[in-house]
Amino acid sequence: MTATLEQFRIALAALRVNWFRAMLTALGVVVGVASLVAVTAVSAGAQKEVGDSIRRLGANVVLVDGEFTTIGTGQSATERTITPEDVAAIAKLPTVDAVAPHQDIESLTVSAGRNHTVTRLFGITPPYAAIYNQAAGSGRLLSAADVSFGRSVMVLGTVPAARLFPGRSPIGEAVRVGSHEFEVIGVQARKGKLSGESLDNRLFVPLPVVLRVLLGGTTTKSVGVRVRSEKQIEVTMDAITELLRRDHNLPASYADDFSAEDQAQFVKEAQKATGTFRLLTFALGGIALLVGGIGIMNMMLVSVRERTREIGIRKSVGADPRAVQTQFLIEAVVLSTSGGVAGLLVGILATRLIGRFAGWQTLVAPRSLVLAFAVAVTVGLFFGFYPARRAARLDPIAALRYE
Amino acid sequence: MSVLELEDVTKSYRAGDVLVEALRGVSFAVAEGEFVAIMGEFGSGKTTLLGILGCLDRPTTGSYRLVGEDMTHLSESRRARVRGRRIGFVFQAYNLLPRATAAKNVELPLVYAGLPARERRRRVVDALTSVGLADRVGHWPNQLSGGQQQRVAIARAIVTRPSVLLTDEPTGNLDSASAQEVLALLERVNAEGSTIVMVTHSSEVAQRASRIIRVADGLLVADETRGVR
Repeated sequence: MTATLEQFRIALAALRVNWFRAMLTALGVVVGVASLVAVTAVSAGAQKEVGDSIRRLGANVVLVDGEFTTIGTGQSATERTITPEDVAAIAKLPTVDAVAPHQDIESLTVSAGRNHTVTRLFGITPPYAAIYNQAAGSGRLLSAADVSFGRSVMVLGTVPAARLFPGRSPIGEAVRVGSHEFEVIGVQARKGKLSGESLDNRLFVPLPVVLRVLLGGTTTKSVGVRVRSEKQIEVTMDAITELLRRDHNLPASYADDFSAEDQAQFVKEAQKATGTFRLLTFALGGIALLVGGIGIMNMMLVSVRERTREIGIRKSVGADPRAVQTQFLIEAVVLSTSGGVAGLLVGILATRLIGRFAGWQTLVAPRSLVLAFAVAVTVGLFFGFYPARRAARLDPIAALRYE
Repeated sequence: MSVLELEDVTKSYRAGDVLVEALRGVSFAVAEGEFVAIMGEFGSGKTTLLGILGCLDRPTTGSYRLVGEDMTHLSESRRARVRGRRIGFVFQAYNLLPRATAAKNVELPLVYAGLPARERRRRVVDALTSVGLADRVGHWPNQLSGGQQQRVAIARAIVTRPSVLLTDEPTGNLDSASAQEVLALLERVNAEGSTIVMVTHSSEVAQRASRIIRVADGLLVADETRGVR
């Protein structure tokens, strides 16, 4: 124990003598470890972003949207092709857990007193809240009774709530949409952004009210379908496609008048964008560590040669090969570990900059720091081994005579 | 009992294409408390002999016993331990670590012997005091004169209380005053009970020993024990 402590002291003293050379040598490890920290932080951030987005969007949701269809020169009149019968049929599929038909109207101007704002209105039913993880920030969400009785009630997103009722509670207040008035019963809890679009700049009213008062008809453009498990998403999309084509009486030569997609798909796609960066940085880190390791080996070899006489002296006073080997190995590890610590700091800094300038979410996990540190130690051990062994095997007589 | 015992020791090694026979069958024993000078010209084999006595080197044939223990076939790590505990070296070039203080240099063998720090400190101070350098504990080698450096080296050699002190031209780099000091110190150390083997080419220096062994061409040519110094 005492001996090991002493070995550390010797190693530190030896490095101090040539501190500039040691610093340059450690640079490779600094870059390597920094890259590793950054790449894991970006990966973890991307992963977290996907997780967060899916949490916001709702997990395992297939979004079925009606589409305009073009047949020859003719075009269908509407994209609201989803009928209540379609919704009911989809709900009966064995892999489906819940369905939420909804209809949105974009760029709608709404007002309250003298305030008005442009927002997006959603006609929804109670399953919507369950599927899309909607929660009430204040007041309450739409109830089954609100929907079945077709009440003119409204839940606000935080953005229109703040614009229409600045500095006061909107609960119980009235919001005008065209000539129709809605009573505000709640404010949706903040959801944040999803690929640039605020999920909070929205209004929610009962679906039947939207259809009756604002649009007419019974069909909707969209239905959110929650699948029981992620693995069943594909088969469910196929089943829905088959079902809707049949119910819509589409001849085989006709295109679908709807689309069905895994709504987390684009998030998963977006995550791949960071993939190239991660691969490159990872490769850079690996190369830097290799070069850094070779640098350490080179410096240690030079050091062993420069200190041949010292090694001879140590051997003459009782240092066995093992002690000499340990001394040089510790020196290499101290060197690479210092580089590793500096690399951690640089890596964390780089991660911050990446987060700021690339706009990617990043996450510096303690585990990745431990990993990077372990890598640095391993580099020292691996590349320090040969020089240390060479020192240990020096012939004491030759070493003592070395000038 | 003999401290050192050589029996028909030979040492040969290759230098390029030439086989050098540095020792061609040397036998002698050194008893406890002796002060032996090994004399010989350059190339006589005396330094090779010292290497074997110091367990820095192994004989090609023959046997070497140190305090009754056979050193001939020991592994390098066992020999390192023997060097650390049983042998103290004093070299011509002092061989102090330049980046360690006098105290750190003297402490070195105790570190490798694994002594606890407090015991080490006590012994280091004792050893430096006994060579008259109690006030130079924190000095660096380059702050000391040649004579002082050699005395630090002697302190380092005796700090482990070895069975034998091996010295190689200990006064070779010193002016005559410092040389006298160092020789007087060795005599005193010997008088206090340490066995000393000193390699030298100088007969003047050899006169300080109680016994002179002469080597030439790898053979022992004379071995005279002097009565009273």
